[in-house]
Amino acid sequence: MDGTVIAIWLLRLLFLVGIYAFLWTVVRVLLRDLRAAARQPGTELGRLLVLASPVGEPAVGANFSLDAVTTLGRDVNATIVLEDEFVSGMHAALTYRGRIWYIEDLGSTNGSYVNGSPVDGIAPLVFGDELQFGNIQLRLERSRQ
Amino acid sequence: MSQYGIAVAHVGSGPFGRGREFGLLLVVAGTLTLGSASLGMTQEVRANPHPATPLSLADPVGLAVFLAALFVAHGALVLSRRRTDQILLPTVGLLGGISLLLMERLPQGLAGGLGLGRTQLVWLVLAIAVLAGVAALVRSDAWLRLYKYSWAAFGVGLLLVTFLFGHDVGGQRLTLSIGPLSGQPSELIKILLVIFLAGYLSENRPILIEESTRIGPLRLPPLPYLAPMVAMWALAFAIVLVLRDLGAAFLFFTVFLLLLYVATARASFVILGLLIFVAGGAILYQVVPHVRVRVDLWLDPFATASGSGYQVVQALHAFARGGLLGTGFGAGLPLIGGALPIPALHTDFPLAALGEEIGLIGVLGVLGLYLVIIERGLRIAASAADDFRALLAAGLSLIIGAQAFIIAAGNLKLIPLTGITLPFISYGGSSLITSGLVIGLLIALSDRGAELQSADAGRRGARRAVAVDIAA
Repeated sequence: MDGTVIAIWLLRLLFLVGIYAFLWTVVRVLLRDLRAAARQPGTELGRLLVLASPVGEPAVGANFSLDAVTTLGRDVNATIVLEDEFVSGMHAALTYRGRIWYIEDLGSTNGSYVNGSPVDGIAPLVFGDELQFGNIQLRLERSRQ
Repeated sequence: MSQYGIAVAHVGSGPFGRGREFGLLLVVAGTLTLGSASLGMTQEVRANPHPATPLSLADPVGLAVFLAALFVAHGALVLSRRRTDQILLPTVGLLGGISLLLMERLPQGLAGGLGLGRTQLVWLVLAIAVLAGVAALVRSDAWLRLYKYSWAAFGVGLLLVTFLFGHDVGGQRLTLSIGPLSGQPSELIKILLVIFLAGYLSENRPILIEESTRIGPLRLPPLPYLAPMVAMWALAFAIVLVLRDLGAAFLFFTVFLLLLYVATARASFVILGLLIFVAGGAILYQVVPHVRVRVDLWLDPFATASGSGYQVVQALHAFARGGLLGTGFGAGLPLIGGALPIPALHTDFPLAALGEEIGLIGVLGVLGLYLVIIERGLRIAASAADDFRALLAAGLSLIIGAQAFIIAAGNLKLIPLTGITLPFISYGGSSLITSGLVIGLLIALSDRGAELQSADAGRRGARRAVAVDIAA
């Protein structure tokens, strides 16, 4: 066996080792990400992000984690209290059934809007839809995993 | 905001630093240098059994240019100050580097002008530039989301233009030339398809999930919404019949079914899709001679081992010669009568060449890199804020993954061979540039800060707010 042959053989093996070293590093990172995601509490069904809120209650940029039934309105008993003079006491409800979010207008004075169209009765929502109650704008978002 | 806390902890240095990406790129640089040294020394020993210099790299300039392009792309991403994925760029870098080594090792005459290795280097650098540009600059997806039907129309238009003005290469009408430029439009069409499907499925998801038409034991989607499924099937059918492009048709239909499943989580759709796929395949087998040849070659390539089955048989031999560890870069593939045993080696059979030279272990590593791309894409999809972004990210990564596995399985005679490219490894500009575009979009979509700005989606709502004020 001459030295060059052994050197080539070593280089070949080291190249393969390099590919697996890369994969190993990446897999470690991925596992850490997965564990970090698993540590986050519970399974969230969705979130509401506040896009516009003239009075500042709730504040713009605030995030609400949603329960399977979430009510919105000016009333203190609503799950999410919206402080705005055009919002009714119990304005609307968001419900989650069979992997889909639905919005129901609870007979509000000024109506509820999804992407600018008024809600008539119960309507299905998709993540990314923008909801408007009075002057308050919210966006339904998927939970972070 | 706890999710930002986690993101910051991952980065390493500062909120916008990309320490992890830099570290992985160093591993890539080291690995590729080792590969290049192994190739260089093998070539040296072949030319002269007792070389004067003990260590030499194969084409050190090409390797240096490629690595420099990767680090410049890394720098551009750092300067863009976005909190985006840090794993995709090094993964693409390693795949591209392996491709560069492979192309430098093959006979340079396969491509005119600069030679195979140098031409591939130019395309790789361009693909990395596209990747970095898109990843750094694309901040909104509204231009994709709002014009999905326009993009779909553009895709169908491209298909028609290819049919009318394309020229045939090897029995397939795939290549379109405009002046000095020529390319394969089906590469671009697959991205347009994903954009359209993401838009369509995210809009109609509630209807597809909640309503159904019962026919016997099967729960079918509501009938009007079956139309796109049928249209998709017809499109795949038309691609096979008219363009004779089996690979693209197979890829499009696979990605369609995968995305349909991601959007609805209903297995009945996938079963239905597979059934009509099998039915369509059976009809095509009877009607189109091109399809029949491919399927017969797959069932028994040894029947025509010196004729039409020659490539497939040679590929199997190449895998067998490689064994576990491979023959080493530069040591495989003896030329038979001055020609390559597999004529389309650099485009259709790069995995067979890798199987011979880096062996089973190396090929499994390469397939692992594609799995990393899929995992990152699905991860980005899972943490996307809305359905469109989620489906787009899932679709973009699945199209790279599905393409890699369809051609890899074709090389290994697991499924009939189709002439599609192995992303980032096959020789060819169209494929490299579009793959770079796909990964660039994925990195842009992974931006965790983007949804707060809400620039484009917010504008629509803002106009409404004024309208409501007046009404109230």
